[in-house]
Amino acid sequence: MIEILQQGVNGLAIGSVYVLIALGLTVVFGILGIAHFAHGSVAMFGGYLTFTFGERFGLPFFAAMALAMVAGAVVGLLIERLAYRPVRDAPHINAFIIALGLTMMIEGLNLLTFGADQVVIQTPYRSVFNVGGVVIAELRLLVILTACVLVGVIALLMSRTKTGKSVRAVAQNRQAAVLMGVNVNQVSLVVFGISSSLGVAAGALIGALLAIAPGVGEGLAIKGFAVLILGGLGSIPGAIVGGLILGVSEAMAAGFISSAYKDVIAFLVMIVVLLFRPEGLLGKR
Amino acid sequence: MKKFLTHLSGWVVLILVAAAMPALIKVPYFIHLIILALIWIVLAQGQNLIQGLVGYVSIAQAGFMGIGAYFSTLLTVNFGWSVWMTMWLAPLFTGLISVLAGYPSLRVKGHYFAIVTLAYNMVIFTVLLTYSSLTGGEAGISNVPRPSEFSLLGYTFNFEGRSNISYYLLALLMAALSTGLCALILHSRVGRILLSIRQNENLSDAIGVSTLRYKLLAFSVSAALAGLAGALYAHYIGFLNPEPFGVDQSLNAILAVILGGSGTLAGPVVGAFAITFLPEYLRIADSYRLVTYGFILVLATIFLPRGLVPVFHSLWLRLAGALGLRRG
Repeated sequence: MIEILQQGVNGLAIGSVYVLIALGLTVVFGILGIAHFAHGSVAMFGGYLTFTFGERFGLPFFAAMALAMVAGAVVGLLIERLAYRPVRDAPHINAFIIALGLTMMIEGLNLLTFGADQVVIQTPYRSVFNVGGVVIAELRLLVILTACVLVGVIALLMSRTKTGKSVRAVAQNRQAAVLMGVNVNQVSLVVFGISSSLGVAAGALIGALLAIAPGVGEGLAIKGFAVLILGGLGSIPGAIVGGLILGVSEAMAAGFISSAYKDVIAFLVMIVVLLFRPEGLLGKR
Repeated sequence: MKKFLTHLSGWVVLILVAAAMPALIKVPYFIHLIILALIWIVLAQGQNLIQGLVGYVSIAQAGFMGIGAYFSTLLTVNFGWSVWMTMWLAPLFTGLISVLAGYPSLRVKGHYFAIVTLAYNMVIFTVLLTYSSLTGGEAGISNVPRPSEFSLLGYTFNFEGRSNISYYLLALLMAALSTGLCALILHSRVGRILLSIRQNENLSDAIGVSTLRYKLLAFSVSAALAGLAGALYAHYIGFLNPEPFGVDQSLNAILAVILGGSGTLAGPVVGAFAITFLPEYLRIADSYRLVTYGFILVLATIFLPRGLVPVFHSLWLRLAGALGLRRG
């Protein structure tokens, strides 16, 4: 029982990183209908950037992460303006292929700028709490808390501000939103900025929790989409629930079945959900 | 009918020229590259079937290639089966696996389908890498046998040794056969149904087409071609590990189809050569290769959404018009 709880806590930490990734993907998908596959690579870029800010300029972890998130938002704006907007009226598949090309480009740039070595972001949060036999590392707790704060901020942004309102309007009905005078170009820029900075936060947290290396980004993007499929494409609550389910089931699989096959098991969960509930756990029919 | 004959004769001339190539090209490395490109044609024709015709972007092509490669290799290495037999069994086996994989995944559309097939590729790759008692893991399997020699019309085809001419002809034959198969599908009733699915799946469903069945057919033929390409690759290179069967390679297959021209017959042929030769010429800037590749993909999608073949075609028409070859 202790073992199950322990794996569950570990899974919640990694799951909350998946939530952040999936949140970025789901807003882009819900509003623009783009499967932004390069999101994982952007996240890795953010992880590397956080690492560099910490090492070079001696910034504390969260300050470095915040700075990297701003840089990430700028990258997001550039991606939207230069790569996705030209194919906005083309079939969706073109945008997906653009996303694949962007993935290659950003992975390649990461490799050129930051090298091929594995990087672990050092943090001072090393203490460990013991709650009734379940060991909780301070870092994992902070990761979960950070994710909660970011999700809360996004929720407020979406529900309370005028920008959030226009984003939701475009998601519901693009034509009607345009007729009501919502600037769609501005909305898609905002969405990409938010999404990319969320991805960067996830990359920084992954870098602190595990490690970042070339190729991790693609895996992250795939996990993000698995979460989206679990929860329902375009659904924000779905992304949260799906992310936590994926994280926990992965930790359980690693703990009780085989760590080499944990990804396989995560994907099997996804395929099973797709078979019986193609619209996702919280998606609309 | 006349147009059909013109096209057919064009293809026949192309194949004959290709078959005579080794007599002209004496650089072994160049022959090696062309063999790889021919194997890529098989792979890309398969990808085109599901991506170009049906409009479902599958990111599992390299995974299916891996299944074919390992199936054929393991049977020849462990049980001493003849390569000539396993090379035909590999596509059948891969096609069978793909029916099992396609049945659940083809019920979802667009991005969902792409992501699920991506997951398939990850699963296949992980299994190939991890199940090392069977696949040899990352260290791989060396000494994958070449096909045995045989005689035809007094000429002996020997596949071993330093000369790759016989293998070149074999790869050419397979590339031609798979292109021919795709041509047959494209110009048949099935091909038109597949196109109708791409254009409006709901409408096809509504007028009584069992779309799932046809999608499954296209998906399994596509995977079978990938399996054939895998077997050709394994027995050509002689060494097998999971590395060429990752997601990257599946993305390359998509790139080949897009770059060439999706939904056309010539597109995958052009794309296969582009994908094999481009990295060779980009080798000067090896560390920039990935970036350049991605950049080309983005530019091609924005500015050449229909690929290179229509560009060539219109250039040819203009040239022919200028030379007065076209009758009004």
